[in-house]
Amino acid sequence: MKFSIVIHGAPWSSSASHSALRYAEALLECGHEIVRLFFYQDGASSGSSLCVPPQDEINIPEQWQVLINKHGIDAVVCAASALKRGILDAAEADRYEKNAHNLLPGFAVSGLGQLIDAAGQSDRVVSFVQ
Amino acid sequence: MPAMSQSQSPCSYLIIARSSPYGSQQARAALDIALTAAAFEQSVSIVFMDAGVLQLLKNQQADAAGMKNIGKVITALELYEVNSIMVHQEAVDKYDLDPSQFVQSVDVVTSEEIKTLIAGADQVMVL
Repeated sequence: MKFSIVIHGAPWSSSASHSALRYAEALLECGHEIVRLFFYQDGASSGSSLCVPPQDEINIPEQWQVLINKHGIDAVVCAASALKRGILDAAEADRYEKNAHNLLPGFAVSGLGQLIDAAGQSDRVVSFVQ
Repeated sequence: MPAMSQSQSPCSYLIIARSSPYGSQQARAALDIALTAAAFEQSVSIVFMDAGVLQLLKNQQADAAGMKNIGKVITALELYEVNSIMVHQEAVDKYDLDPSQFVQSVDVVTSEEIKTLIAGADQVMVL
């Protein structure tokens, strides 16, 4: 089946992002297709390249990046959600005259329309809220 | 926003809005998804349940909390042709409300009716 996954929760303060990551891995292992990952609201923080958790803890953004790049998954962070949380790609940093950008390679910044578009192409949309 | 691919037929969405209006950003997120789906000419229904029923109240003093008025966003749903705006009977009873207190007219639905709505929707999003 074709799945899209929506990640609403922040990587550290809720289990949403970690659970979604494990779920995505399981889907691919079972031979399903992931149409798109959509990182919404606090979920946008999963796209930060600047997270440095202690060494004995999982680095959730880095794990997402590995999965996304390994399987060529379409991964979108909601632009409005990302911008207000300080998750910027190079183009956004330039546009808003910020001195740094931190979106992990493999993630793209786009709008909520990408969620609707993904839903139209997917058999199931699974949301991880908290 | 990106163009929808031409081959896709419209989906039916059921948005279940069950968060209080200002305790988190979930309420606004549910409405944003409903409005975006409607803007892409999808068939959208929204049902307010649990604390989400509080989003419907008139005279929200959002400014006092430095927030945007959720009630005003709800009144925009019809303009965007969100087909059906509903509220869960149990939530109305639990919060001792009357539909006359809401920013606009809504259909009051039972748990059984919500079950049918969930079963009939292509996509269900709960926020």
